[in-house]
Amino acid sequence: MTPAPSAGAMPWVVPAADFGQWRDAARRLLQAGVPPAAVVWEDTRESQGDLFADTTAGAIRLPEPSVAPAPVRIGREDLALLERASRYRSGDGEQNRWALLYRVMWRLHHGERDATHPADSDGRVLHQRRHAVKREAHHMHAFLRFYRDATDGDEADARGSQDAPGGESLHGRADCLGRKDDRDRENDLGVEESQASFIAWFEPAHDVLDLGAEHFADRLGGNPFLIATPRNGVAWDGQHLDYRTPCPPAWTARARAAQAAGEDSEHALWRTYFVSTFNPARLNHRVMTQHMPQRFWRHLSEGDLIPALEARARHGGRRLAQEASVGERKGKTLPPSRR
Amino acid sequence: MELIDKLSILADAAKYDASCASSGAPNRSSRGKAGLGASSGMGICHSFTPDGRCVSLLKVLLTNFCLYDCQYCINRRSSNIPRARFTPEEVVRLTLSFYRRNTISGLFLSSGIIRSSDYTMEQLIQVARLLRETHQFRGYIHLKAIPEADPKLLEEAGRYADRLSANIELPTLASLKTLAPEKELGTIHSAMGQIRQGIDAANDAATQDAKQPPRSANPKRLAPRYAPGGQSTQMIVGADATDDRTILQSAEQLYRDFRLKRVYYSAFSPIPERPAGLPQAAPPLLREHRLYQADFLIRGYGFAAAELLGKPGNLELEIDPKLAWALTHRDTFPVDLNRAEPALIARVPGIGLRSVQRLVELRRQRKIRFQDLIALRCRVETLRPFVVTQDYRPADGQRDSARLRQQLTAPQPAQMALW
Repeated sequence: MTPAPSAGAMPWVVPAADFGQWRDAARRLLQAGVPPAAVVWEDTRESQGDLFADTTAGAIRLPEPSVAPAPVRIGREDLALLERASRYRSGDGEQNRWALLYRVMWRLHHGERDATHPADSDGRVLHQRRHAVKREAHHMHAFLRFYRDATDGDEADARGSQDAPGGESLHGRADCLGRKDDRDRENDLGVEESQASFIAWFEPAHDVLDLGAEHFADRLGGNPFLIATPRNGVAWDGQHLDYRTPCPPAWTARARAAQAAGEDSEHALWRTYFVSTFNPARLNHRVMTQHMPQRFWRHLSEGDLIPALEARARHGGRRLAQEASVGERKGKTLPPSRR
Repeated sequence: MELIDKLSILADAAKYDASCASSGAPNRSSRGKAGLGASSGMGICHSFTPDGRCVSLLKVLLTNFCLYDCQYCINRRSSNIPRARFTPEEVVRLTLSFYRRNTISGLFLSSGIIRSSDYTMEQLIQVARLLRETHQFRGYIHLKAIPEADPKLLEEAGRYADRLSANIELPTLASLKTLAPEKELGTIHSAMGQIRQGIDAANDAATQDAKQPPRSANPKRLAPRYAPGGQSTQMIVGADATDDRTILQSAEQLYRDFRLKRVYYSAFSPIPERPAGLPQAAPPLLREHRLYQADFLIRGYGFAAAELLGKPGNLELEIDPKLAWALTHRDTFPVDLNRAEPALIARVPGIGLRSVQRLVELRRQRKIRFQDLIALRCRVETLRPFVVTQDYRPADGQRDSARLRQQLTAPQPAQMALW
């Protein structure tokens, strides 16, 4: 058995790309009694393409497993907490995820049960990270937008060219696109779309792609979809999820093109809905941005409407709850009931 | 009229209903099945309009033609507004299209009263039936219950909908008489009573099934669900002279009598062609916010409405209702966090329900110190005069409430419309 390095000796340098790899390595290190200070964790998920990247290629040097290793036990809830927190992408100056997790494991292993409590200095960071991850998964469920996949062979795209860039009215895109649909097609759309493919581009701040993909597989069932992100991508064919790291460039190109072209005219209807459901008399910028951070706006089909709606509400539109364009239409009072 | 024009009018007409929740539905998934949609119990806000309100559902009226002349309502028959009507198929089409693009989690459908209450209710049910049966839609559906409609129709609506709601709008008989002459509090209450019975019966049957599962695993043989997301209602705030005390007492009674999931408070927003007697002022958002806070204290923290507002009048705008209660009950404080019952800790201003739970977990392992409150992100400045920990005892404890109040209100930034 390789002895654990003593003080002053070379530390163990351990790369890990995902939670499974970390867990295997952490178990071996704990069983060999290697304290957190004697391990340098390399986050190969964070440093993709950087100078550490090739450390994964060679064999990882770890203490030899002992003949009768002491079992490492961890409660189900604590394990779930560590797994979720490990999806947090550390920013500048924040702790390496694997080093934090190992220190907590070490403390738990040595009887410090409150190491995962939110009032503990490590536990607090874990809970904050889990919360940020949960919030980001929720953001993905909420703010990801699907577009009809143009390569799907459907004609839902040709009309995109009629888009008037930066239309004058708030409805700009809505007016010039939505009205092209004739009614029969509109009414049939629900049926027609039951087999269609959808595509989305999303930029998650943490590692939540799989949490989103599972969610959308439940929602869309038989509709195939593809989600491209800056790091990885996933495709659903109605039965299986196919993950790719890194995201194939062709997927990225398709997803970004679908969104940029705004060629899915159904989003024009959505924009109209967004304008009408807004109540200018209740304008509240702070609460909106608190719940829907600005980084998401540029990927929402309604995102560019927000500043315009706010500006109009500030300049007089606030007097009434009614949307101005609705108020300009011809009105109609009704006779008293004959009941 | 084009679909997009109808959408513009009928979404505008529906925005006065505050609710847009998609929570409380059972777990449903479309994986490996024909059809579309899922629900998980947790609501999703797919967007936020610049008023800070969540967009979770496609919230539209089937039509804004209406026989009624409720003065506070933009869609009353005497209001000179553009009118439109969707066909049930159009609503279905919009719902499915938006759902696939992930801009909504379902539909909230309401309507003006046309022809008769029964006819209107049948139209709403028709949309839900098309979604659920023809398109096997498993997303969220919230239907408005028309109070005067035949009980059989409410029964049917509950089979398709996750949530039903009948709006009280004005909580007093007098206000309803003046402002909504065609509405009756009695019929609204009986509709709520009926919905409660439907929910209770479905729950009883489900419990029965859980004890003795039917032989067949065919889900149709299991107890049919009835509005599994419960029922809700809405009260308008500031359209008439009704005070917060009356509003909160009505809410408490509704929670108790009909087991409502939520009561929504909707600050009255100025409408075009305002009838005489209705305010033209900006909606009282802070008052609405205080009502939501008080409502939360009643539902989650074990407060009674009478404790929060002992005498006629409104909640204080300057401080939140929990702090207001603590300042008038100084003999209850300070609370020793290492000894007190969880219910009492929940009454400390600045400590929320989640922190209560965490403090109770922590004190099983060791004594609670003041530092822990900071780590748990409690509102330390607010709670300081009201707690005792192993290493802390308030010096301010002896100060009188008026001074304490001054001290606590001075630097605090106003917190408005939090949800």
